[in-house]
Amino acid sequence: MQEQDIETEIKNIIAEIVEKNPGEIMPDAKFVEDLGVDSMMALEILAAIEKKYKITIPEDKLMELQTLNKTIEIAKEYLSKSK
Amino acid sequence: MITFDIQEIYNILPQRFPFIMIDKIIELEPQKRIVAIKNVSINENFFVGHFPGNPIMPGVLIIEAMAQAAIILFCYNKDSDIKNTKTNYYLGAVKVRFLEPVIPGDILEIIITPVKIISNAAIVKATAKVQDKEVASGELSFALK
Repeated sequence: MQEQDIETEIKNIIAEIVEKNPGEIMPDAKFVEDLGVDSMMALEILAAIEKKYKITIPEDKLMELQTLNKTIEIAKEYLSKSK
Repeated sequence: MITFDIQEIYNILPQRFPFIMIDKIIELEPQKRIVAIKNVSINENFFVGHFPGNPIMPGVLIIEAMAQAAIILFCYNKDSDIKNTKTNYYLGAVKVRFLEPVIPGDILEIIITPVKIISNAAIVKATAKVQDKEVASGELSFALK
């Protein structure tokens, strides 16, 4: 899988959950302050990524899902572990 | 496989009359699946107004039944004694499609499977059936506070 694909796919997942256009999701925009993400949405983002890539991300990583870039980084970390 | 009656439901759910929306659990596999039964009777209060002369179970109450079954699955997912603490549960998001009306006499079967469960919140897949026919299905997220 191409790195670029993962980034685009994760951006699309987040955009759908926060109900914004993917173009509005800036790489370093803060989920809570800038995109209005609450704890429930963060869990939805986590679950959607797990489902999409068939990986398991531990619960303690949930608090680290704070920007698009950080989310991509975590997803890639667990994707590489699952290979 | 675990099954249980209304007494154990009372032990777990914080809800009380007239808002207990499940009557018994006919199947429970911790962390995997729960099947709950709600017997829908013409004596239900909501049928008086929903709708006069045309009794249909309100969709929001089907969602409530799903949520209550999900709480029980959630509690049995834990090794802690959360089920004895009477926590409050809050629905965070609901995405449910209603396919068929539920009417007096129907035996509503609620099936819940987890999508993601963490220590203080969960996302579950929920299906409601009457005589093996799907009447509603969707996804619910809820959290503890």
